[in-house]
Amino acid sequence: MRKKTGLGKKKELDAQLNLTPFIDLLSTCVCFLLITAVWIEIGTVEVKQSHGTSAASEKKETYDLDLVFKDPTEMRLNLKKSGKRVKSFNVKSDSFEGMISSLNTTISANVLNYKNKAIEIATATVTPRSTVNYGSLISTLDVLRKNKIVNIGVLTAKGQ
Amino acid sequence: MILNQSVVAADAFEKHLINRKRKKHWGLKAAGFTLMLTSMVDMFSMLVVFLLQTFSSSPEILVTKGVELPNSITPSQVREAPVLAISSDGNLYLDQMLVGKTEDVSKKPNELLQKLNKIKKTWAKSHKTPFTGEINLQADREIKSTIVAQIMGILTSSQFQSIELAVVGHR
Repeated sequence: MRKKTGLGKKKELDAQLNLTPFIDLLSTCVCFLLITAVWIEIGTVEVKQSHGTSAASEKKETYDLDLVFKDPTEMRLNLKKSGKRVKSFNVKSDSFEGMISSLNTTISANVLNYKNKAIEIATATVTPRSTVNYGSLISTLDVLRKNKIVNIGVLTAKGQ
Repeated sequence: MILNQSVVAADAFEKHLINRKRKKHWGLKAAGFTLMLTSMVDMFSMLVVFLLQTFSSSPEILVTKGVELPNSITPSQVREAPVLAISSDGNLYLDQMLVGKTEDVSKKPNELLQKLNKIKKTWAKSHKTPFTGEINLQADREIKSTIVAQIMGILTSSQFQSIELAVVGHR
């Protein structure tokens, strides 16, 4: 926009933005970010394996939970106190997804509110089975982690 | 800077003048072209904002070929540690190097144990703190969970007790 000021003299009033370095900077930024972009987010699910029986002897007053796969759609939950089983729950469904949903409900409603009292699960141990694939095992660990049970172990071949 | 002479928001006479000016320069314009800088800068800005939002500074681990990781809704951040991978064809890799068939290794784990001990010794040389026992385990989602458990047993016996199971995060 131009505006006449005085005796025929013209003065530029609009500031001009030098776009070249701006575009250079943006292009460099785009290139760098595209190269360093992570499209698949790799995460981890931590499993703490106890060696021997040290983990069990440390916690006497807290509850432990054993999850035993019978097949991909059936699982048995054993709630233990000081190594002794106090309650068992059977989780079964027609599909694996249904079983995972039932497991979530059982843990949040029955296990973590055992005898209508909020309890803390010190350790959870999952016993796998050859008919259950690794993806299903991870889904089970997910349910436990979702219910704030973080000290999870997987029963290894030696322990079976 | 005049980026483009627009006929939008101009009265009839101005439009006529703009068109006449354009027609006058058509012969010259054929040699070059006008770059729509406004839209390009807009697009670049949006790209930069999007890419900055998805930017992650956490360490990345290389996923071994032939391993389709399971999905998880509760993933934790990856930590730098040795990577043990079990592929769908049953091969076992330690830091991208083939160790052997998983079945053979679980029966005779000596070679794997030796390599794990070597990692521990290297770790002890470079660190003054006690060994943390961390290891990343990548396994294909379709393999039997008992095979993974067997390998975890070998790792536990070799003092690798903090096993990080690699997953694809879906929050």
